[in-house]
Amino acid sequence: MDDKYSIKVFDPEHILFSRGKGGVFQGIIEGKPYDELVIHRTFPFLYTTRYISVRDVKGDELGVIEDIEKLDDESMKELDKELRFRYFLPTVSRVDSVKQKSDLWIWELQTNLGPTSMAMRNLHEHLQFPGDNRVILTDMNGKRCEIADWEALDAHSRSQLSDVL
Amino acid sequence: MSVLDKLPVAIQTKLQQEPLFSGKTDLMTDGHFGVQWLTVTEQELMLWNVEGKQQLAIKLSEVTDARTAGGVGGGSLMIDTKKGPVVAARYTAALTTLFSFAAKLIGALAKGEERPVISEKEFPRYCPKCSNPLSEGTQVCPLCKNNKKVILRMLSYAMPYKLQMVAAGFLLILTTLVELIPPYLTKVMIDDVLQPKDTGSALLTVVIGLGVTALLMSVMQTVRGLIGVWVGSKLMGDLRKDVYSSLMRLSLAFFDRRQTSQFIGRVNSDSEAMRQFMTDGVIWASGESLRVVAIFIIMFGLDWKLTLFAMLPMPFMILVSMKLWPKIGRRWYQQWRAIFRLNVLVGDSLQGVRVVKAFGQEKTEMSRYAVANREVVRHNIRIEGLWQGVFPLFSFIAGIGTLLIWYNGGLSVIHNELQLGTLMALIAYLSMLFGPLQWVSQMINWASNAIAAADRVFEIMDTPSEVPEVKDPAVIGTIEGHVRFDKVTYGYEKHHPVIKDINLDVEAGEMIGLVGHSGAGKSTFINMICRFYDTDEGAISIDGIDLRRISQTDLRSQIGVVLQETFLFDGTIAENIAYSKPDATPVEIMQAAKIANAHDFIVRLPDGYDTRVGERGHRLSGGEKQRVSIARAIIHDPRILILDEATASVDTETERQIQEAITRLIKGRTTFAIAHRLSTLRNANRLVVLERGRIVEVGTHEELLEKKGAYHKLVEAQQELSKIKGVEG
Ligand SMILES: Nc1ncnc2c1ncn2[C@@H]1O[C@H](COP(=O)(O)OP(=O)(O)OP(=O)(O)O)[C@@H](O)[C@H]1O
Ligand SMILES: [Mg+2]
Repeated sequence: MDDKYSIKVFDPEHILFSRGKGGVFQGIIEGKPYDELVIHRTFPFLYTTRYISVRDVKGDELGVIEDIEKLDDESMKELDKELRFRYFLPTVSRVDSVKQKSDLWIWELQTNLGPTSMAMRNLHEHLQFPGDNRVILTDMNGKRCEIADWEALDAHSRSQLSDVL
Repeated sequence: MSVLDKLPVAIQTKLQQEPLFSGKTDLMTDGHFGVQWLTVTEQELMLWNVEGKQQLAIKLSEVTDARTAGGVGGGSLMIDTKKGPVVAARYTAALTTLFSFAAKLIGALAKGEERPVISEKEFPRYCPKCSNPLSEGTQVCPLCKNNKKVILRMLSYAMPYKLQMVAAGFLLILTTLVELIPPYLTKVMIDDVLQPKDTGSALLTVVIGLGVTALLMSVMQTVRGLIGVWVGSKLMGDLRKDVYSSLMRLSLAFFDRRQTSQFIGRVNSDSEAMRQFMTDGVIWASGESLRVVAIFIIMFGLDWKLTLFAMLPMPFMILVSMKLWPKIGRRWYQQWRAIFRLNVLVGDSLQGVRVVKAFGQEKTEMSRYAVANREVVRHNIRIEGLWQGVFPLFSFIAGIGTLLIWYNGGLSVIHNELQLGTLMALIAYLSMLFGPLQWVSQMINWASNAIAAADRVFEIMDTPSEVPEVKDPAVIGTIEGHVRFDKVTYGYEKHHPVIKDINLDVEAGEMIGLVGHSGAGKSTFINMICRFYDTDEGAISIDGIDLRRISQTDLRSQIGVVLQETFLFDGTIAENIAYSKPDATPVEIMQAAKIANAHDFIVRLPDGYDTRVGERGHRLSGGEKQRVSIARAIIHDPRILILDEATASVDTETERQIQEAITRLIKGRTTFAIAHRLSTLRNANRLVVLERGRIVEVGTHEELLEKKGAYHKLVEAQQELSKIKGVEG
């Protein structure tokens, strides 16, 4: 099991996550307490809530969580929250406008985390299409937003997008 | 005092003293978008909301350290306190540098160390005027900068050819005017010759008139066409040259983030789109609008009431054009992006064609292509379809004008209020309006395509190099080779440093061996010496002069590098060796090859030094390629020699020979050598051991072995390996 040449997949029963007083993500992994844990999505585009790599502060991998759904409620809630902090990827709920001003593309968006705007120098280097109508927008400063399914947005948003996607 | 953002009054009044640091976040601690303020005073650190309500306060006496935890797209400021870590603030990626500074400051305050000074780089990159983000390396906002409009800037390329352009324009005006004569002559023919049945010489005169105008027209068209071709080709040449030189000027970081084969097509197609607009577009547009005006003047002269009918549909057409204009531009760009993705795909799979074949994945590549291809087809239909729809619509609407004239003019002729010839002339002129009309839609098309292309081209031209050339470089002459790293930190992405806090003083003539695990940052380390990238923090100097103050040509002329990824150009072996010294004599070339232990194998090739090595040198074996690139590095007699795994692909015996030769060569030269095979570095004066971007050990082979630290482990591991294989000592 503790073979260092194979991926260690946690048994969800032995994992507890919580949040420290200072708002830091911590947990008890197979009986051992850690007062700070770092998590990585191993497939940030394909599997957002699966295959989560759990590491200690130094960055050494403790193991992988196959599916966060299998954790207990409290742990899942904290892990999910931590994922949202670490992978700052608001989901776009409405596209207010996409305008080209001088040589910048300005996006006005409503997201699940509030309204925001993004500025891009061009579209061909700032939009990614991981498939299935998903679009990842990255602005000039590295801020990212996600459109989960652009065809599922309201008519106004779709008409804004129809000539830029 | 490092006060950055101006604190809101509400918060300022609550602070007893001027803060050492105050910064605005763009996320709330719960991760939602919103603004909070972080202030740091001598005693404590506080977080406020915009109304000035305190959200968090930590006494600095409680703090042990501070750091940033970088996520993807954002990060958080972590404060380590005696009671455990605390998340003090969250922010999006835009503010990473600002909060890294905050972390450093808080850490220094807590530990009582020297306080860091804020550098210009750490300012949040927002335009002070319109609060839109600024791109890296500029303080000028693209929205606010006094931007020459794209069209004007594009036209400035035509400036050198203004004489020719004016001549072409003049010819065009003449042609246009001459073109207007035939309908008038026809009118004369009908009204004054055919209808009165005049049998005199008038008929012949009119026919000759028609012939002469036709001849004149074709002569002028030819001349104008030739001028157009000449100016156009020259323009294209200028544009391509400029795009290419801007590409060459850009730093490696630019290319790291992009697939490079995309530029092959872009340079050409974008300049072609711009050329089309400038030569054909501009000349024709001015000619055609002139023609429209002239036609209307003549028509008004013939019969102003009927002409008014012809003008009825015009406002409508202008309206439609205005509406369509932005849409067409966007669709062009859309179509361009589809092609762009297709090209990237092709470039990729062709460059890796060996891997594709090795894994038998031709089918997968074909289906990937098919998907991208379908997209191109779809967008093609969208844009072409749009504009195919516009033109018939325009003709139809313009046709309504003609019908109105036919009806009203016909009535007038029947009632003898108008001569038949005049009506015919009016109709003829009206039909001549169709030409320009077609041009309106064509112009919309061309112009939006050209503007989109120009946008992309100027974006490349405006991208500042991340390793900018200084205005007045220091004169370095021939350098000694004393290299000094002073607290150097660098990351390919700012929030993810790859080499950290490197301090190293290298004497002139010293040989430094760099060792460490794969990914430790060894290649990055030497990239910094070559100034492929600029440090994020700290400075590197050669002979006491900061690298950033040395002109890059001077710098590179003193450095010889063998990069880890050997690359040879499409050309002969001799050309490749003499790449950095094109005037090298054949003897010099052979001498360099001899040192690199390449001479013998080259001579044995049927074509010797004239062997073409093809794209990337794929006709040579891995080790042969390496030896050619070693020869290329040493031919110009550099003062600093950098060898990144330069002999990794050659057998130990050949390596030993190369080393002997190089040892002779490197006397008095500063050398940095990287090798995983530690025996390669046995001549090094000092070894530097890197681990996760930090220097963990420095010393001679013996010293480090004695220390029994990281180096000892590396050596042991390798000895073990050799024992198993039963080779090498
Ligand atoms: N162009 C790049 N863009 C982004 N990250 C890079 C780039 N080049 C290297 N890195 C990252 O920087 C780190 C250090 O890389 P570097 O090439 O310096 O390692 P190295 O010590 O030379 O390793 P090796 O022995 O395998 O050659 C690695 O984690 C790598 O992923
Ligand atoms: Mg390397």
